[in-house]
Amino acid sequence: MTKKFILLLILFIILISLFFSCARSVLNQQLQFGIQAAQRDLWDEAIFRWKKVILSNPNSAAAHNNLGVAYEKKGLWEEAKKEYEIALKLSPENSYIKSNYQNFKDYHQSFKKEIDEKN
Amino acid sequence: MKKINIAFLLLIFLYLSCTSSNYWKLKIEAPGVESVSLDQFKEVIITNFLVEKETKDFNLNQELIDYFSIELGKHFEGKIISKEISWEKEEIIKKEDHWRNLLPESKKALYLTGKTKYTQEIRKAILEQARDRSQESLFYKKGLAQRKFFTLILHLYLIKAQTGEILYERNFKESKSYQNPKQTANFAFYDLMEIIRMKFFRNILGEQTIQQRYLISE
Repeated sequence: MTKKFILLLILFIILISLFFSCARSVLNQQLQFGIQAAQRDLWDEAIFRWKKVILSNPNSAAAHNNLGVAYEKKGLWEEAKKEYEIALKLSPENSYIKSNYQNFKDYHQSFKKEIDEKN
Repeated sequence: MKKINIAFLLLIFLYLSCTSSNYWKLKIEAPGVESVSLDQFKEVIITNFLVEKETKDFNLNQELIDYFSIELGKHFEGKIISKEISWEKEEIIKKEDHWRNLLPESKKALYLTGKTKYTQEIRKAILEQARDRSQESLFYKKGLAQRKFFTLILHLYLIKAQTGEILYERNFKESKSYQNPKQTANFAFYDLMEIIRMKFFRNILGEQTIQQRYLISE
């Protein structure tokens, strides 16, 4: 009886988390749509989608990260930096966000260094 | 009990499919940061360079002027002219008055100037060499090898004619060695300038570079 109760409890917990996960996946559709647009080089459309995600869920680290990439692609450095930093703050352990931010910083530092460099 | 187990497995499967995190690796062409906006100028004036050491049978100054005239012309729509200035002292580079008064009528001009040094030397070293080309990977012997070594030092400045302000400054030092001991200074110069050109234009024009980034979904 106890075993059955524990199993039912676990099922209930999974069901609840599944509900929230799948509710999130509706927003994920917008994220995916943005990704597909970015892959087709339609960066304005992608930005529009990811901004929409942020409007509904300002804590979406993925949307902030993706916006960072999009802004970087468009040469909007300050905006890109801001978005990466928000994404990292929301999800500090996400290795993809960390990698993007680190590469972004390295690229800019090496660029600045190249300009300042005096052999 | 069996039914619960099946439902349990099904839910775990659904849970994983709904919550799995995906990523897409993407190569993007990130624009570089433009350090000097050439569009704001109507002409670029390339001066003669301060040559620290003349190279035998090679007019370094003229080659540099010609090289930059052609390469700048690919990126700059305005006029490109050359002007001879007198290099009494190296310090004139940093004197704003000097540049302001050089061509007072050229308000929207940009000076490309600098100092340079081009050297060549033969370096000898004991290296392993193949005895026979056909048996390259099998038989090696140690022998005295010589390389012709060229070094080009080019300190470039971009100066705004209107104010005399230095907009860009960088010292390039590039070296290249050749197995051919008869390699000419002319040939090596173009190899070295190719490297400098890439760095210089990437600096001033902010040329695009390929960057790898991740797009993610939650």
